Amino acid sequence: MADATARLLNLIVALTDTGRRMTRETIRATVEGYDPVPQGADAEELSRSEAAFERMFERDKDALRSLGIPLRTIQDAVHGDDIGYRIDSADAALPALDLTAAELAVLSVAGAYWEDATLGDDARQALTKVASAASSRPTEGVLAAARTRGSERAVSVLLEARDERRAVTFDYSSTTSGLQRRTVQPWRLLTRSGVLYVQGLDTDRGAPRTFRLSRVQGRVRPVGDEGAYEIPPELPAAFSPEQGGTALVAIRPEAGHALRARGEAAGSVEGWDLVRVEFRHPDAVRDEVLALGGAARIVEPAALAEQVAEHARRALEVAGG
Amino acid sequence: MAEKALARVTRLLGIVSVLQHQDEASFEELGERFGVSAEQIRSDVMLLFTTGKPGGMPDEYVDFDPDALDRGIARLWDAQGLTQVRLSAREAVALIASLGTLVASGAAPAAAEPALAKLRDAIGSEPIDVVTDARVDPARVQPVRDGVEQRRAVRLDYVDAQDRRSERVIEPHRLVAIDGVGYIECWCRRAGDYRTLRLDRIVGAELTDEPVTTPPAEGLGFSLEPRFDATVTVHRSARWALEAMPGAQVSDDGEDVTASFPVADADFTAGRLLAVGPALRAVAPEALADAVARHARAVLDAQVGTP
Repeated sequence: MADATARLLNLIVALTDTGRRMTRETIRATVEGYDPVPQGADAEELSRSEAAFERMFERDKDALRSLGIPLRTIQDAVHGDDIGYRIDSADAALPALDLTAAELAVLSVAGAYWEDATLGDDARQALTKVASAASSRPTEGVLAAARTRGSERAVSVLLEARDERRAVTFDYSSTTSGLQRRTVQPWRLLTRSGVLYVQGLDTDRGAPRTFRLSRVQGRVRPVGDEGAYEIPPELPAAFSPEQGGTALVAIRPEAGHALRARGEAAGSVEGWDLVRVEFRHPDAVRDEVLALGGAARIVEPAALAEQVAEHARRALEVAGG
Repeated sequence: MAEKALARVTRLLGIVSVLQHQDEASFEELGERFGVSAEQIRSDVMLLFTTGKPGGMPDEYVDFDPDALDRGIARLWDAQGLTQVRLSAREAVALIASLGTLVASGAAPAAAEPALAKLRDAIGSEPIDVVTDARVDPARVQPVRDGVEQRRAVRLDYVDAQDRRSERVIEPHRLVAIDGVGYIECWCRRAGDYRTLRLDRIVGAELTDEPVTTPPAEGLGFSLEPRFDATVTVHRSARWALEAMPGAQVSDDGEDVTASFPVADADFTAGRLLAVGPALRAVAPEALADAVARHARAVLDAQVGTP
């Protein structure tokens, strides 16, 4: 491990702001940690040693990418297929982060959020970087903690595909159209209310869509060629307000406090209080009324009222015995 | 590439970066900052010493003040262009998504929002964007945050999972976000016991002058202790609902999906299962099935008047 660490550091020093690009051959011959071409070797040994270098160098390039270091590849104008590499420190350096001690402490709480191994490691790496850019040290004893038991395996595949501008395909279950295979050109990830989404072009529908990662089933797989699309410079809103609307909900006295707190009183009928509630997605109101277990009902819209009843009926068929 | 090598490279670059901002730092201070021992920092510095430009001339290596090193102090003379590197896309997502979640849950201390803003400024909105949409009204929860920081009791107007509204005085200990939901861990004087209360069920809060006298309980979300294990089967289109159950073990079986998960509050779980009513296939044990049936009848009674 010390060898790999030392080699990577030497590689970073060699490539950073190098006057001219470095080719694979130069890297292999001069950067400490790589085995140079063996002297007096026969053809078989040469090709084996060449293959070993290629594998090591490819792994190191992946490592640089994982570290967040943009590696520039530069083609020689004269020798067209001769690729050289360089790191521009202006691209690579961590921007200044003027964090207070309290802010740093909150970040360490956030960094412990993921139980999922991959994102957990990424968060710890991020914290190390943030800690090296801060002028203060975290305050002791933040009285807050965060945990998630969810695993977001899809994140790394999506980010890599996005980086390569390559489409992905996955099975997705939506409340409106059931379980379907989707093919998407990922544009960006979003988080809203603690939920991760990916927004991109749904190529079958030819339109932008936003998918909730926790409703992706099974694996996300890259498909098709790299460089298959461009991310539009102006992205459309990820969450369309069109699905939103207003519901009139009847609530028993002394119940539905969360709905009341959010909504607007609209009189009463036969001992039920009426509250007008705005919603972003009808499912949210439906589920909230269902969770209230009879202390609330939908008055309008009628379709939503029918959905509430249908959900209860179907659940009763299974649980009613 | 072993994750360990990446973690070490990141720390080594961090050491260089810190020493570019401040003149010198002791091994202890650096160890504390990066969560490793002073001995580890010494070995890190020694590794940096051997890092240099290709075919290195003596002045082309990373260099430290050797006298200071003998005293356990790192003072950087030459970094050879090394410095800490920007966050990778995955690192940015891991940190920003969790911080955004903490803020949305209402459990975040006040410093979380400026920290999030500074991170996003430094990183840009790529490749992750945060849609600000708090689940919890920050103003309503503010007295609870104040109570945690000032160690003072808070009077709460609270609606429980059965939608019962009550007034209680709590001694707040710690704010937690579990699976994106914010809670306050506290001693509830009315119950005479420890409680973990959901922030989004707080209807009103008021800071009192009374000090917190109880010690915090051990363990995270301690009073969310499960009462029994449930096994629920749904059509696979509703798999997400089972995955959202804390601690769920989900397994596929053709068109159906079965999950077992611990249940702390049967009524609360029943309410959530109704949301996937049309996809529900089987519910066990009886205690949970009864709760689902009771809930469903009550909903039907209210909605269409025919149980």
